Order: sequence, then C-alpha cells, then structure tokens
Amino acid sequence: MSDGGPAGKAVGAVGAVASAAVLEPVAGLTGARLRRRRRRRELASNAGWYVVLTVFAAITVFPFLWMLLTSLKGPADPIASVPPQLIPGHPTLANYQRVLDSLPILKFFQNSIVVSTAVTGLNVLVSAMAAYPLAKMRFRGREWIFYLLLATLIVPTQLTYIPSFILAVNVFHYYNTLPAVIFPSLASAFNIFLMRQAFRSVPNDLIDAARVDGAGEWRVWWQILLPIVRPSLAAVAIFTFVTSWNDFLWPSLMLHDRTQMTLPVGLAALQGFFSSDFRSIAAGVTMTVIPILLFFIVVQRYFVRGLAGAVKG
Amino acid sequence: MTRRFKATPYLFLLPAVALIGVFVVYPILAVFYYSFTDYDIVRPPVWVGLDNFRRLLGDGTFWLALTHSFVYLLVTPTIIALSICLAIVVNRKLRGIHIFRALYFVPAVSGSIAIGLSWRWLFDRNGFINGILQSLGVIDTPIQWLAEPGLVLPIAMLLTIWAGIGYYSVIFLAGLQNIPEELYDAARIDGASDLQKHWHVSLPGLRPQIVFVAVISSLAALKVFDEIYVLTSRSGGILDSGVTMVFYLWKQAFTLQHAGYAAAIAIVLLGITLAFSIVNVRLLERQEGDR
Repeated sequence: MSDGGPAGKAVGAVGAVASAAVLEPVAGLTGARLRRRRRRRELASNAGWYVVLTVFAAITVFPFLWMLLTSLKGPADPIASVPPQLIPGHPTLANYQRVLDSLPILKFFQNSIVVSTAVTGLNVLVSAMAAYPLAKMRFRGREWIFYLLLATLIVPTQLTYIPSFILAVNVFHYYNTLPAVIFPSLASAFNIFLMRQAFRSVPNDLIDAARVDGAGEWRVWWQILLPIVRPSLAAVAIFTFVTSWNDFLWPSLMLHDRTQMTLPVGLAALQGFFSSDFRSIAAGVTMTVIPILLFFIVVQRYFVRGLAGAVKG
Repeated sequence: MTRRFKATPYLFLLPAVALIGVFVVYPILAVFYYSFTDYDIVRPPVWVGLDNFRRLLGDGTFWLALTHSFVYLLVTPTIIALSICLAIVVNRKLRGIHIFRALYFVPAVSGSIAIGLSWRWLFDRNGFINGILQSLGVIDTPIQWLAEPGLVLPIAMLLTIWAGIGYYSVIFLAGLQNIPEELYDAARIDGASDLQKHWHVSLPGLRPQIVFVAVISSLAALKVFDEIYVLTSRSGGILDSGVTMVFYLWKQAFTLQHAGYAAAIAIVLLGITLAFSIVNVRLLERQEGDR
C-alpha cells in the first residue's frame, strides 16, 4: 500500500489494460515474456479489487488511526480545525502520561486479565465437562437437560441483571469485587453446544476401546476426547476470552471502585473524568485497544476458523 | 453402552447446570415475579398485580424505546448485504488478502466502548466529520450530530453496521468457500455474467449463513446498549432520542431504582425475543426441508 493510494492504482490499472491489449497480437513470445505478460494482466484485472479493498480498509481503520494520531498531539496542535489536522505537528507522549497519572489504567488492565483468564479457563472446563455426557452417553433426562440448555440460549442476558444484581448484593456478597464479574460468566449454553458438536465427531470405537482397556469416564474425557478436539477448544477459548474482555454492561453494574474496574468500565469512567480533553481520551482508547489487537494478531487463525465452524455447529 | 455408569453423566453436567440454574434460570423466574411488584431493590418487593404493565401501556418513553429497537433491526439486512459483498470481494487469491481480511476484523475485537468513544469524537461538534465537511464547503457551521434528536439512532446504527461487517463477512466467506466450483463453471457455460453468477449461485449457496447471521445480528440489535451509552454519554440522547429497550431497562432499574417496573420491560423484551426466535426456528426448519 505504499504507492499513490486508490487514485494511483486506478490509473495504473488502465495503463496495464492498455499495454496488455497492445501486446495481444504479437506472435512468437518467449516463455518468460509470456509469463510476464500474464502477470501484468493479472495485476491489471486485480488492480480494481485492490482499490475496493483499500477503500474499505481505510473506512475500517480510520477511527482507530484518528485516535492514535490525536493521542500524540501536543498542546499546540489543534483538536478542532478546518481542515482537521491529521499529523501532529508537535508529537508527544504527555497525554499517555497524564492518563496513567490520573487513572489506574495498569490496574484496569490487570483486572481484565484476571477476569478474562478465569472466565475463559473455567468456562471452557465446565462447558467441555457438560458436553461429554450430552454427546456420548445415554442416561435418563438427557433430552430434558439438553432442551433446557437450548432454551437459555434465546434469553437476552440483560434480562437476568436485576435478579443477578440482588444476588450479588444480598446472597453472594461479592458486589464491587472481581468474582461478581467472573461467576455469572462461567457457564454458557453456546459453548456447551460447540463442544458437544466437537465431541460428536469423535468415533465411538475410540472411546469404547479405551473403556475396554479399563479407563474410567473421567480419563476417557481428559486423556482421549480433550486432546482430539483441541482445535475446537482453542476456538471456544478465544471467543470466550474476547467476549469477556470486551464485556461492559454487567461489569459496569458490579465494579464501582477504580481499583476493581476492568478496562471497558475504566474506559467509560475515563470519558467522564476527562470529559472534553480529547487528547487524553484518545490516549486511553489507544492504550486499551492495542493489547487486544496484539492478542488478535497472534490467535487470528483459530479465531476465524472457529467463527466459520460455528455456523455448521 | 453406559449401563455401568450411573452417576457419572450427572457429575459431568453438575457444574454447568448449577451455574446456569443460578445465573440464568433463577433470574428469569425472579424477573417474572418482580414484574408484578413494586420494588426498589432496597425494600422488599410489594405485590401490585398488573400495575407495571398497565403503566407501560401509557409510558411514552417505553413506546419510543420499543420503536427505536425495531428501527434498529434495519441494521440486520444492511449488514447481511454488505458482508456478503465484502466476502465476495475478499474471496479471491490476491497477494496480501490475508492482511485485508485481518484489518476488516479489527472493529469486532476492539470492544464496543473503545470504538464507541472513537465515534463519539468523530461526530463531536469539534470532531473530524464537521472539520472535513466544513473544509469541503458542504456546511458552514458545525452540526451537533449527537445532540440532534433525529441523528443519534442513525449514527449508532451506522456504528453497529461498520463494526459488524468484517465479523459477519468471515462467516459468509467460509460459506462461499464451501460452494462447489462446478456450480460457477456451469453458470459461466450458460453465459451468466459475474453479477448473475453471484445472484444465482452464491446467494442460494449462502442460505444457511444468511439465516445464521440474521438470527445473531437481529438478536444483537434488539439488545443494543453499549453504543447508545457511549455515544450519548449515558444520557440516552436528547428527548430520549437514542433510548432502546435495553437502555430503558437499564435506566429504570439501575439509575432510577424502579426494579419492578424494569422487570416488566424485561418481560416484554423476552416476549419479543421469543417471538423472533420462533420465526427464526421456522425459517431454519424450512431450510432443512429444502434439502
């Protein structure tokens, strides 16, 4: 994407098409020239697509880029100007320092790590456990339990917040602590279904062979099933992690002390704290987006595969 | 095959069933009960029968919220159409296509609060959008985008669409890649143009994905909250112009302490969601029948 942007590419496309047409009637081309010609024609037909892709990428990325650029602006750089100033004239990291000095962003980050890791680990464990008998055992009440779980998928989570709030305050006494955010997210019918789907694809012979060899159900589950479905486990885990990381409404109801907040809750507090200090808000947003983006880049393959697989599940 | 193991299946299921029982099943039953009570979370609930529901009928803000939530459903067809277009565009072997695909996915992982804040400032009175429009001479004075009652909801919807396209197009991309190449070849031999090929081959082939995305994104649209919360700085917009069902539920329950009344809103929301799910299941069944 280093050359002259969409316009330059469009011009290049026209040029390539023209030269390909000129080359057409020339007979007796050598192999190398043929190949070069083919490559050029390929480029010509693709240039249009690159324009579309780049325009779309620009629309997608621009709000983030604008945040990043604004967060680097110094006091002398205008926030509002006509036309808007894109590149900071006096770049500085002072806005980041100000945010770090006024709000415990690192603590938010730490809390988010604790919550998302705990939720992911335990949720995957609980879901994988529940999925095994639903996929591979016959027992009384199986259908009944299955349909009960299925029904909970339809219910909007927000519906449960009033009673869950009262439970948190009156029964579990974990209001304003991290467990209040962790516990209600530990079981998800959706994850149970995805894991059930994965287990069903494991041949029964394999399980029966292990049982004949004297392995108990727990060992079958832990030593045979779980290793086989590792790709599904990874996809479910990544989904759960990102969802938990970005969860806002319930954590915002539960976490009120600055020392207890997760990143999204802290970020919303930041908006109130810096009200119209756009540079600091931009710095805060940038700081919270970068870690999850890095995480996404690392696990991207599994994420996309899991998302694609979910539809069939 | 499992006669020997009596308790084992139940032990495997126990943690999940207990958690879902406490955090999903019990709250649903409780919310039904609260909807028939006057309850402020602090003092014990007082039974008032159908009073909350009667009040809802005459509550203008409730009807406004209901209307807004239905209007919000317009994001679903828009997202489906645009995501399919994007999936078709990225479904070709181009150099660097993986980088583009990853870029389009960025809004889906960044979190609604972060992207909501960035949009909040794009559309600020002193924001980028006004700056560009002014420098192009389209407008003379800055527009108060988010203080304009008619604009809050459309901007929130635009945000939802923008954030959703990359995510949903991955699903459609997987669907496209499952469509046998021969179908496209056959269409080409029949003299179909590119557009006709996609209309007659891609669209029918993507039907399972379309149903899935329709279900997921319409349920998400009915539940929208974070975008409204951030874009309107917790206010719901001037004259409640951005208030949706879940936002109104949140406001009644957690800022006004009208838990009983909010529970009644929750029951209406549940009813709508159930109706939607039944329609969706019907669609799915019809789809199974087609095969």
